[in-house]
Amino acid sequence: MLPGMMKWYSRRDFVRLSAAGVFAPTLSGWLPVLANAAPQGGKGKARACILLWMDGGPSHKDTFDPKPDSKGAGEFKPIATKVPGVYISEHLPKIAQTLDKGVIVRGMTTPEGAHPRAKYYMHTGYREGQGGIIHPSLGAIVSKEIGDPDSPMPNYVAINSRSYGAGFLGPRHQPLLITDPNRGVEDLKAAVSTQQLQRRLGLLERMERAFYREYDADIIRDHHTTYQRAFQLMSSRQAKAFDLSAEPPSSRSRYGSGRFADGVLMARRLVEVGVPFVEVTLGGWDTHQNNFERVKALSAQIDTPIAALITDLQERGLLDTTLVVWMGEFGRTPHINNRGPNPGRDHYPRAWSTVMWGGGIRAGGTVGKTDKEGATVIDRPVTAQDFLATICELLGIDHTRQNETPTGRPIRIVEKANPFTSLIT
Amino acid sequence: MRYRGVVIAALIAGLVVWLGSQEPVGAQAVLQKKSKKANKKEVAETVLHVKDPTPPAAPAQPLPTVVPAPTVKDPAALARLIDAEVDRRLAQAQIRPSPRSDDAEFLRRVYLDLTGVIPTADKARAFLESTDPNKREKLIDELLADPNHGRRMADIWTAKLFPFDSANRFVPKEPFHAWLAEQFNKNTPWNQLVTELITATGTADENPAVIYFLANRTIDRLTDTTTQHFLGVQLQCAQCHNHPFSSWKQIEYWGFAAFYSKVRADNPKNPKQVPDAPAPGVRELPSRSKQKDFFPEATKIVAPTFLGGPEAKVHPTEPYRPVLARWMTAPDNPFFARAMVNRLWAHLFARGLVMPVDDMLEENVPTHPELLDALARHMATVGGFDQKYLLKAICLSQAYQRTSRPLPENKQDETLYSHMRVKVMTPEQLYDSLAQVVGRAAASGAAGKAAKKAAGRLGGQNARAQFVNFFLAGAEQPSITSYEAGIPQALRLMNASLTNNPALVRSLVGSMATPPAVAIERLYLATLSRRPTATELNDLTAYVRMNGDPATAYSDILWALLNSSEFTMVR
Repeated sequence: MLPGMMKWYSRRDFVRLSAAGVFAPTLSGWLPVLANAAPQGGKGKARACILLWMDGGPSHKDTFDPKPDSKGAGEFKPIATKVPGVYISEHLPKIAQTLDKGVIVRGMTTPEGAHPRAKYYMHTGYREGQGGIIHPSLGAIVSKEIGDPDSPMPNYVAINSRSYGAGFLGPRHQPLLITDPNRGVEDLKAAVSTQQLQRRLGLLERMERAFYREYDADIIRDHHTTYQRAFQLMSSRQAKAFDLSAEPPSSRSRYGSGRFADGVLMARRLVEVGVPFVEVTLGGWDTHQNNFERVKALSAQIDTPIAALITDLQERGLLDTTLVVWMGEFGRTPHINNRGPNPGRDHYPRAWSTVMWGGGIRAGGTVGKTDKEGATVIDRPVTAQDFLATICELLGIDHTRQNETPTGRPIRIVEKANPFTSLIT
Repeated sequence: MRYRGVVIAALIAGLVVWLGSQEPVGAQAVLQKKSKKANKKEVAETVLHVKDPTPPAAPAQPLPTVVPAPTVKDPAALARLIDAEVDRRLAQAQIRPSPRSDDAEFLRRVYLDLTGVIPTADKARAFLESTDPNKREKLIDELLADPNHGRRMADIWTAKLFPFDSANRFVPKEPFHAWLAEQFNKNTPWNQLVTELITATGTADENPAVIYFLANRTIDRLTDTTTQHFLGVQLQCAQCHNHPFSSWKQIEYWGFAAFYSKVRADNPKNPKQVPDAPAPGVRELPSRSKQKDFFPEATKIVAPTFLGGPEAKVHPTEPYRPVLARWMTAPDNPFFARAMVNRLWAHLFARGLVMPVDDMLEENVPTHPELLDALARHMATVGGFDQKYLLKAICLSQAYQRTSRPLPENKQDETLYSHMRVKVMTPEQLYDSLAQVVGRAAASGAAGKAAKKAAGRLGGQNARAQFVNFFLAGAEQPSITSYEAGIPQALRLMNASLTNNPALVRSLVGSMATPPAVAIERLYLATLSRRPTATELNDLTAYVRMNGDPATAYSDILWALLNSSEFTMVR
């Protein structure tokens, strides 16, 4: 029996309900179905992934792949990191101190240069619209492959923006969307007192029982299950993870302030209670104009929270089992455009950077390399598929496995991938 | 399907050059792009022709018995035909059907199926009290004439024809929905409606039908939606490879796609970025479209060819789409009428005579082949593709009017219509039904500020779209056969002001001095469109008595009713 269910009824009621056959099918019919699709557990060390999604496409040359001697070098100076010989932008000083626990992937190269299509591509590994299906995003894949189907908590949480959903994997793997981390899960609190809520649930249960007895349809059971799960979340201790006010002020201040910082903190709280995938979005990286002022401000927004997250995870013994990924949909042009007095950089998928920390990777280095201009990958090109497959491997997911669409068409989790896991573990 | 088998081996051999190639990804794509461009010219000039099609192969199985359909338009006769065929199959399978639905069950079902919204308490009471023996037929007529009918059908078709896609951000959806609703309310015959859609030209302002092209801007999307939704054929897998488990070949895909090869669709642009963009709309060009991104990399160049049939006799400078429309909607088209019948059937029964509804392959055998043939033949001839007529006939049938309570002996039956299937409301149905309960409360004088506020959440142009999006939770299409709402949706219905509003209770119940039995009946009629059973009335009256404050007790009952599966389902 699911925890929390007894609260709805007296013991006598429950016995009567079981006899009426309301609960029996719920437990025997629903749980095994999910159990079949349950975690396979692979050899990867990581049990959770936090995706820090930099919406708009961050300029690689002004963040993690500085080219001070190139033509479009820009205004920023490189600084040394904890890893000898690896330099990043001067506006990411705290992150520079965490790179001994991370890897910069400088060989990213992808074919999509328009935001929506590139976002779809980097979330799913497939091109949008191909074959008339919607592919699941990474979070939905993780939810399905290693999520706990019995958890009262959702297995995929998206903070600030949902980006892409479960596609053909269906609504069970849709992200729970948190639009404002300070407000947590909306409508989580009952509108009435606990006693009144219990009376209401009692009335509801009576109605459900009668309806199910007469109509005997699976969907009535599913409705019941969803309400139980919602009620479980309302009364579960883990749901506290959505409440940032429960975080001690000292550790909260460590993350800095702002929506992104709050989201990163919530991600840590969620991973701590077992949520396997959390995506936190920070928008504003589409810097066609005024690139340097904006990237400097954005860097300030990410530097403190990301560094705090890495340190915090390590202090809590979670870094080894938590993979943190920083990425956007593409990089930005190596040259600076001439749009007005405050120019910027345009979309550039041909060569760009992402970063990974934790999750059992052997840290402190780079994968791939761009040329002097930051324009072309000259060593170990990494495709979207290579990158996603590597994340899967670190999480113990077999990326060559096929999932079936509702029409029975098999689709590989990642297709044609050449992961670089062996280079970083 | 009569011409299946016409795929020409030699032709495929000739195509190997392109068919064999796979789409490059990642870095390779970047590297290959240049050389591909150089190739494209040559490819574009190589038009392949289907020559000397071999005669259609004899059907492998004997044709099913021909069931005579009515020779005139007569909904009652058509309903009898449906019942004769459904009953024949039930008798064969020795399955006893469930009895006829009671009035309340029929009332709520037919309201939701035909207009997408539950009846008001007053309407429900009037129908239940009426002793007119023809009241069911009269209600069907009334609902098919209700403007909500067009809205309901437009909801269904907009979801199919206007996909969620990042490219559609600036494409106007509302005018397309309104245009569809108008067509369904006017009862434009289906052949004419589909012709207007697929041959649409002009600007979106003068002809909202062109929005179909703006929302499906590439040739593969157009091909997929056209064949899937209007012909009941899923071709999309054949876009990139010969279908491994059906008989569609890649060449058939591109032969069909070629009918759309001269379309130019100018999409709305972000006005901030492109202030002087051309008016959004659709033109048919004299030659192959040069529009950027219209043809995917995998495109094969094939002459326009009817699906499973011969190459179209059409001069290269002639418009292609009218030729396609004439072929698709011709009375003897092997797909069109069958697809229409199957869709409307599924719309009411939550399963098609062929499943999947939009994949009517030979392999997917109809449950009632003779019935499907007879209905399709009838609708393509004397029935004149009249949708309201077919809907009425089905709603009049005993098969539709059966209760959804299964009998122990027919519980396992899912295909022979021994009992009606319980459906889940679509987000639109749920929204409109909640608005019916909450909105009326706000309109009535008894409503307080809180009721108006709750209704405000259900008011306004965008509120419906937002609610629908929230309840779809990223799914492309609502599912009416499985309950897919998740935790956030349940939390909203449980805890948001929508269902927790004391003023709402007052407006539905009236004075708190109302006798509990009357008050409880009002709540049931407003939400479940039925009277409470004797047991429910007893239980709930006791509940009200036990509770000191009747207003609190009624708000608890209303909360439970709005959160019950009976409310959110179509029984």
